[in-house]
Amino acid sequence: MNSLRSSFGPVLSLVIMGLVGVWVVGMIIGPQLIMVEQSLWNKEIGGEAAQISTRIDRLYNEVDTLAFDKSDAEALDESTDRTEKIAAITAEIDTRKSTITELEATEVKPIKVYSFRNYTLMGASHFFIFLKTIAAAVAVTVIAFVVCYPIAFAVAKVATPGKAAMIMLFLIIPYSINELLRIFAWLMILDNNGVANLILGWFGFESIPFLGSGSGVFIAMVYAYILFMVFPIYNTVETLDGSQIEAARDMGASTWQIHRKIVIPHAKPGIAVGCIMTFMLSAGSFAVPNIMTRGIAEPWFTQLIYNKFFESSNWNTGSAYAFTLVIACIVFIFMMMRFFGVGIKDIAK
Amino acid sequence: MRGMDIELKDVSIRFGDFTAVYPTNLKVNAGEFFSILGPSGCGKTTILRMVSGFSNPTSGEILIGGQSMAGIGPDKRPTALIFQSLALFPLMTVRENVAFGLEMRGMARGPRNDKAQELLDLVALGDQGEKIPDELSGGQRQRVAIARALAVEPAVLLLDEPLSALDLKLRQHMRSELRDIQRKTGVTFIYITHDQGEALTMSDRIAVMKAGVIEQVGTTDQVYNEPSTAFAATFVGANNMFKGKITKTSKGEAEIETKYGLLRGTNPQNLSTGSEAILFVRPEKTLVLSGKEKAENTIDVTYERRDLEGAFVNLHFQREDNKFTVHQTNVDLKSFDKGDQCTIGFDARAAMILPDGELADE
Repeated sequence: MNSLRSSFGPVLSLVIMGLVGVWVVGMIIGPQLIMVEQSLWNKEIGGEAAQISTRIDRLYNEVDTLAFDKSDAEALDESTDRTEKIAAITAEIDTRKSTITELEATEVKPIKVYSFRNYTLMGASHFFIFLKTIAAAVAVTVIAFVVCYPIAFAVAKVATPGKAAMIMLFLIIPYSINELLRIFAWLMILDNNGVANLILGWFGFESIPFLGSGSGVFIAMVYAYILFMVFPIYNTVETLDGSQIEAARDMGASTWQIHRKIVIPHAKPGIAVGCIMTFMLSAGSFAVPNIMTRGIAEPWFTQLIYNKFFESSNWNTGSAYAFTLVIACIVFIFMMMRFFGVGIKDIAK
Repeated sequence: MRGMDIELKDVSIRFGDFTAVYPTNLKVNAGEFFSILGPSGCGKTTILRMVSGFSNPTSGEILIGGQSMAGIGPDKRPTALIFQSLALFPLMTVRENVAFGLEMRGMARGPRNDKAQELLDLVALGDQGEKIPDELSGGQRQRVAIARALAVEPAVLLLDEPLSALDLKLRQHMRSELRDIQRKTGVTFIYITHDQGEALTMSDRIAVMKAGVIEQVGTTDQVYNEPSTAFAATFVGANNMFKGKITKTSKGEAEIETKYGLLRGTNPQNLSTGSEAILFVRPEKTLVLSGKEKAENTIDVTYERRDLEGAFVNLHFQREDNKFTVHQTNVDLKSFDKGDQCTIGFDARAAMILPDGELADE
């Protein structure tokens, strides 16, 4: 706080602190708490009360229908018949309205019941999708690491500065394109009549249903999030003193040993950050599975959450689903930090 | 551990258009403390990297112990390199650092820790094995680097300005330690430095290098007392200089016509009359003459200032743009005031006339 004030002055530091507060409370803690709260209750209505509310609903419907009949009658030519009709309908509406008022007086308000029930509602098929999503996100992370570590090392330590800048540029250019466009590109490539199957066809292979089998989501996801692995690793490898690599080689270490004993231990914080980012992005991705499955393949867990919220309008179960995913991600982060033996401070570096 | 000899046969290296080392022949004897002395960018580190195997010569051949090193990588050569940055592994303990080379060679944990302990004892760090390098002082880290390099039992130890990061006191202390370790182990040391003091105190022999060319190879005494080029004369130790043209030669001596008159000095390279030359005389062989004292060569100068170094002083004199230094021990010092007119002088035997050439930058 004092150092903040000494570098930005009192006014600016107050503004900064205020904005940070709004961000932390209003955009992280608040929504999260609301979601957790939502996930912990249900509206419960007793048996008789349910019947009453059904009756009320029905009566409201009848009132609406009668209102239509009334406006029909009013459209008729002026006559005694018309006046009688309108009077009859108005009478009927009034009786129903009074019944509604009576019933509403007796209606019991639904009560909020707090319980963990929402967390037990996940059926076997949804739980399987949850596990599959986590497993796929782990696999995306592993593949991204295997692909990115050599690239990051080559750019940071092997390439000349000019070449390194070139490689970086070519890595960044595709990522300056909108994520949706990139996913659609994969859709075109992996579609049943897409580029990949066209090329397979030339070689006499039968076309492979990439999208239907769900592998399309996986491929597009690896592509979509791979760069989030490159940069953290690059940043840490870059700070490794090159003479350490040479010293290890001089003392007889093989390439594998150099990476295992010198480079990877040094790059651990970067690798951990890369893995966490890639995992979080793929486990929480909605756009990629939504475009790539399009209802022809099994959905991802994020799609289930979306459906709970916006299609079954069941915010309580939706919140429980979403919070389950949050917990899984947090567990993954701590596992990663444990596995790499890095603390929060190392990651912050 | 036994040292091996190293031989460079017409070794040169080019990076694109830039020739870092011109064709060089050099022989370093087994068990010798050999220094390559030169200003930064002269190619001395490049030579070291070629010997260690991290760079390949563009032409020529390097032999270690009579074996050609062509196509042999740094991990397979009987050399160990100590980097300027030391390149200790910061995440390993001191013991793991020292044992690293043995681990890479597949030695089991027990014997390799024993060996590491032996080496830590050698460099007087026997009880520091469990610390990490960052917890050690500069001099201790230095010794860890040496122990680590010696662990793989190299026949040749290559040192790339390893003392440059240390402060003066420690540097002087480490000089004698390095010399001790070299004597104890008998390993050939090739030591790279731009510090002539280091080279002179530690080495058996020195090569003076300038811009990719080795100018002189010799024992420390030879290099200091009988420099063969103007560059060697000015890079190794200080010198007072008088530029001119040789007017007369006789029996190992010559007379040179300078701005300040005729001066006599030895003529080790038998320069002939008429050649452009420079007369060099060391500050410690230059005297400030009082009325009665005589010297074969005398120059009238103005006193500027003195630098007290403790045991000795450097007196600075000036004439026009030329500056001269007289080095005196701190015993019975005469004192002068700025602007005093003095005469400095030296005998012909104390001075040396060498061909005109490029000087070392101050």
